Amino acid sequence: MQVFKAMMKVTRRWLPSALVYIIVFVVISIFASSSSTKENKFEVTKLDICVFDRDDTPESHALIELIGKNNNLKHLEDDKDVIIDALYYGRVDYALIINEGYAEKLGNGETADLFGSYHIDESFSIVYINQFLEQYTSSVKAYLAMGKPLSEAVASAENVLTQESEVDMFRGNDEGNEHFSVAFSSYFLFMPYILISAVFVVICQVLVVMNRKDLRFRTNCSCIKNTSYSMQLCLGSVAFVMTVWLFLMVVGAFLNKEMYSGRAWLAVLNSFIFSLVVAAIAVLVSCFEPKQNVLNLITQVIGLGMCFLCGVFIPASMLGDNVIAISRFLPAYWYVKANSMIAETEPYSFDSVMQCYMIQLSFAAAMVVLALLVRRVKYSGAAISTSVKKIAANS
Amino acid sequence: MTDTVVKINDLVKRYGDLIALDHFDLEIKQGEIFGLLGPNGSGKTTTINCLLSLLSFDKGRIEIFGREMTPVSYDIKKDIGIIMQNVAVFDELSVYENIDYFCGLYIKDKEKRRQYVDEAIKFVGLEDFTKFHPKKLSGGLLRRLNIACGIAHKPKLIILDEPTVAVDPQSRNRILEGIQDLNRNGATIIYTSHYMEEVEQICTRIAIMDKGKKAAEGTKDELKRMIKNTETITIEILDLPDKVRKQIASLDHIYDTGFENGKLTVYCSGGKHNLLRVLDVLQKNELSFGRVYTELPTLNDVFLEITGTALRDKED
Ligand SMILES: Nc1ncnc2c1ncn2[C@@H]1O[C@H](COP(=O)(O)OP(=O)(O)O)[C@@H](O)[C@H]1O
Ligand SMILES: [Mg+2]
Repeated sequence: MQVFKAMMKVTRRWLPSALVYIIVFVVISIFASSSSTKENKFEVTKLDICVFDRDDTPESHALIELIGKNNNLKHLEDDKDVIIDALYYGRVDYALIINEGYAEKLGNGETADLFGSYHIDESFSIVYINQFLEQYTSSVKAYLAMGKPLSEAVASAENVLTQESEVDMFRGNDEGNEHFSVAFSSYFLFMPYILISAVFVVICQVLVVMNRKDLRFRTNCSCIKNTSYSMQLCLGSVAFVMTVWLFLMVVGAFLNKEMYSGRAWLAVLNSFIFSLVVAAIAVLVSCFEPKQNVLNLITQVIGLGMCFLCGVFIPASMLGDNVIAISRFLPAYWYVKANSMIAETEPYSFDSVMQCYMIQLSFAAAMVVLALLVRRVKYSGAAISTSVKKIAANS
Repeated sequence: MTDTVVKINDLVKRYGDLIALDHFDLEIKQGEIFGLLGPNGSGKTTTINCLLSLLSFDKGRIEIFGREMTPVSYDIKKDIGIIMQNVAVFDELSVYENIDYFCGLYIKDKEKRRQYVDEAIKFVGLEDFTKFHPKKLSGGLLRRLNIACGIAHKPKLIILDEPTVAVDPQSRNRILEGIQDLNRNGATIIYTSHYMEEVEQICTRIAIMDKGKKAAEGTKDELKRMIKNTETITIEILDLPDKVRKQIASLDHIYDTGFENGKLTVYCSGGKHNLLRVLDVLQKNELSFGRVYTELPTLNDVFLEITGTALRDKED
């Protein structure tokens, strides 16, 4: 276990940089969990909206119905003075005009000049409804581009947006579901980022050191077997990931006392599996022996990129279909998916959660196999490959 | 058990088109300090790396302690100590931890290991620096740490690849003496260098390498006997007429002369009283001269004569 011990000592030297990330993460989590018990958190309020439908087509009716699902529809006379009066006295928050030719333009994929509106100030509510309309129309456009007829495109866009508002409502809801508290869910949701930026950096650094060519040469001159060396490095990586993971679990338990109950254990297992994935990525990246600044760059790209694409920072449903198509090839997507199923922001099914686990594990396995291949190619000129050949010849 | 420790037979190593080792043979006996002398790029490190099975090679056979060396010959490896050309230590580990790590790759027993590590530290004189990290050590101390890491497990065969590059004279002497101590304690040493003075100072047998080939081999006296130069006379003299120079050149046992920057150089091969005979010629021509000195041949002369290029010129 000489190599393992040395690895731990090297790790100790790199630990401070990881601690910074971990502490920031924990502080943010404490802040988030305390603020979620107070009033000042994000909440989707229902707006009082009046809509004037100057197009009067099935498409415009569908939109009004959709708006009505999350807002209170008010009726007003279609008269400018009346509307401004109503806005001024706060009887409505927003007056939306669906312009004539709305359905036709939408069908042609145009999104300009579809709506007109009256409102008083740029409050959050106004921004919200504008954004909602923007998303709706661009979703419709996207579905049209995919070749769906207008009626189907409208229905699909509606689907996407209702799902999202459920997420929003869920996030704004203090209770969560009976299996899993909301604060805990978001604690887990951000964990991929912290695991990648803290753990990954440290392990990569350490592995780069442990695989330094001159040190490997010297080690290869000794009695220690190559496989034993590699095994100890893997063990060291896993040990470190597990330590950080355990630490995060304990801190999580402190922040949220009732969290280790019921289905939460599945989320714990989920994060454990993701930790293994992170360790495997680290093993792979370290094969390329990146320099420190390159490594920082890689971490940013993998950490931020993957977390953005896979819905760590923003809900997956807000991402376009094409983004989701890409993110399916990233392990964090399956982590987030399992997490949302466990939190029941997506329909829960035990089998699907297991499937997410399996996919993540396959990612980890694939990374390790790839790492072995890379190493084979890299050292093909050196004796490591001859030793492999010789062993193969002997058996 | 034979007393041959290392036997290299017909070793060929190519890097792409470059032939780094060209049918190289070597035999090293028990108890020798064997010097592998050659300019940079002559293939010394490549030889060592092949010897240790760190590199695969195209042709040839390598035996150590009478057994064939392969990457998995752990029973051979356990008796070899290696000091690499580049300092190969962990920057993150202290002096003590570094030596302990490398020693631990050979010696599992903790008590024994502690004793060995302490001995190695004492041996290289790093007692005051055990808690230091390599980044804080000077070049000379770093080299000593590098050596301690290679010898702590008390190997029977110690290979040092240019251990004194970029080392101050004090550390250098200490290192050279240390190597002789190790040898007295029974270890066979392979020592590579492009500094002929060092090789001349400590090595019992020397192979001269050039362009991947062995140019010559023997004790330093044997090597010097191989060349015709036995003595080089240098005389400071202001003006030397061609006539006088020809007279000197025609003397017995003198095979070449040179005159440059007010210095007359006379190359002799055998013969006695060469200096007296040269000075005699100068006096007869009433030429006054300044300092006079004679040099016995160095390995550089050997190298020069065998390969046609000077060893020193190739440095860096
Ligand atoms: N990994 C390598 N790839 C290609 N050429 C190499 C490599 N290592 C060494 N060489 C070449 O092989 C020759 C011998 O190098 P080396 O054994 O390091 O010489 P020395 O140790 O005597 O200075 C040099 O010409 C060098 O450029
Ligand atoms: Mg060299």
